[in-house]
Amino acid sequence: MLTLLKDLRRLRRQIDLPRPDRGRSLVVRHVDCGSCNGCEHELILASSPYTDLQRFGIGIVASPRHADVLLVAGTVTTRMHTPLLTAYAAMPEPRRVVALGDCALGVGVLGSPDEIVGPVEDVLPVDLRIPGCPPTPDAIATALLDLIDGSRVR
Amino acid sequence: MTGYRERIAGALEGGWSFAGLYAVAVGGPVRVVLSNEGGDVLLETVEPVADTVPSIVDLIPAASWDEREAHDLYGVHFEGHEPLRPLVEHDLDVARWTVPVQGQDPYQVAVGPIHAGVIESGHFRFHLVGERILHLDARLFYKHRGLERAAEGSSLEGGARYIARSCAACAVTNGVAYAQAVEETLGRRPSAELARARTILLELERVWSHLNDISAVCAGTGLAAGAQRFAGLTERARRLNAALTGHRFLFGAVRIGGSDVALDAATTSNALEELGRLRAEAASGWRELVFNRSFDDRLIDVGVVRMKDARRLGATGPAARAAGVIEDARATSPRLAYDEFAPVVPTRAIGDVKSRVEQRHLELGQSFDLLESLLVRPLQPCSTEPEGPEQALAASRVESPRGATLCVVERDGDRLTRVHLRTGSYANWPVVAFAAVGNMLPDFPLINKSFELCYACADR
Repeated sequence: MLTLLKDLRRLRRQIDLPRPDRGRSLVVRHVDCGSCNGCEHELILASSPYTDLQRFGIGIVASPRHADVLLVAGTVTTRMHTPLLTAYAAMPEPRRVVALGDCALGVGVLGSPDEIVGPVEDVLPVDLRIPGCPPTPDAIATALLDLIDGSRVR
Repeated sequence: MTGYRERIAGALEGGWSFAGLYAVAVGGPVRVVLSNEGGDVLLETVEPVADTVPSIVDLIPAASWDEREAHDLYGVHFEGHEPLRPLVEHDLDVARWTVPVQGQDPYQVAVGPIHAGVIESGHFRFHLVGERILHLDARLFYKHRGLERAAEGSSLEGGARYIARSCAACAVTNGVAYAQAVEETLGRRPSAELARARTILLELERVWSHLNDISAVCAGTGLAAGAQRFAGLTERARRLNAALTGHRFLFGAVRIGGSDVALDAATTSNALEELGRLRAEAASGWRELVFNRSFDDRLIDVGVVRMKDARRLGATGPAARAAGVIEDARATSPRLAYDEFAPVVPTRAIGDVKSRVEQRHLELGQSFDLLESLLVRPLQPCSTEPEGPEQALAASRVESPRGATLCVVERDGDRLTRVHLRTGSYANWPVVAFAAVGNMLPDFPLINKSFELCYACADR
């Protein structure tokens, strides 16, 4: 255990990520609506020591009731349509919707028409689009930071 | 002519084991794919009479999901499969798709399709008494995109896009399985160099995947230091993928008929250095986990799948080997560069969470060994060579990080008439549901993570 912690401390020194210049926070709820699992795997690594999303005050939470942002991956399947709307309805306002990855943006979507509703923007108002197949952990972090800054200006 | 069931029973007696079952089309035949220890594939076909074929689920319990899927998507009735519960079909009464559970104070806990973490979507219905799980009905296919149907009619090359979209975590495996099946229908086989190129990609996929799985089990026990340590290694493995092929998940690196991946001497030598560092750091992290008593305590005797159950239910990959089933499709892959590969199992192969994590660690060692020998010289673009006559149908099996994956391709000229993908995850999902029984509900996330299956390539 001590070695693990020592290794992590050394890793943190090596990577030397810049610290955020001011305090802020964003609470994110992720919903997979029919992805290929790539966006999920990259989003998980956005919390790894190499990107460390949490240093910006960005956290991923278990319930939409706690969330500012609904981060939606995948093109919306017919079967995930209702669960997605339910999660959105559960969120407190103000709330933001972020479409994560090319499928969520409706780029190059494949599948049978009767199984797919469409990109996220056909179902919910999208505030931010994160392109990529899948977007890298750094791209996810950068985009979410832009969302925080944008919200402040608004 | 002997009947369908007799032929299947005969094949099982002759040492063949079940690899998959699918309906070719609505009103069309049903095919059963069997494989043997030599890596050969046998297809048995049965024509439905009034949309009905005899069920083989009593002979092969592992065919349960396959028959249910063929029923839901292609309208085939399986005589003797009672009750034939819906699998892909969703808009139904709960009583129709769940198993009735009786006893003193049983109750249900419904979880999902949206889960608490960054996890794919799927629904689990637990039947409990107190905290103890009596039964679990897993209802997946929330992510069903109808990829196989959508791929029908496309060109053989175009079909690869649908296969690629089915899953990121198994992108290489699924791509290689599809490419091999297509090449076999075209009467071609990979050159030795192409076999090496694909084997390198398959093992790179296994390295990041197994590092991720160890991290996930640490997260499942609440050991943040271990989860972060192995997440860091996973990140580096993905960066290595990007350095070698331009994509962190190796997308686009597998194609039909050849390989465009070119690695010069400097690139392979850098890759070997980084793999050496990853290996050393993973070994050091692993030692910390092995000697962490409270971590160990969470894993032992949790989510047990004994060898006989693993075989009966058709478990595959690390999940089966952790139960002592010494089978690995890599040992029987003549189209890949796994010469003299022998599967490993842990000394303590009792099929619990601990055995499954140990299995990942052992396989990581094997993958590092393989990559060290495969990357000793530069890699050039390469292609296939002629093998035999063209065929309308071929099946290929490739070992993914989650077990043997089957891809069947049926074609008419350059037109894909049917493609079927049965991944290691698909085979193992019923095993997860079985492993949960008798355990405490709060241990389910850990049990689930010890399998770390994809929903995407099961749902397609």
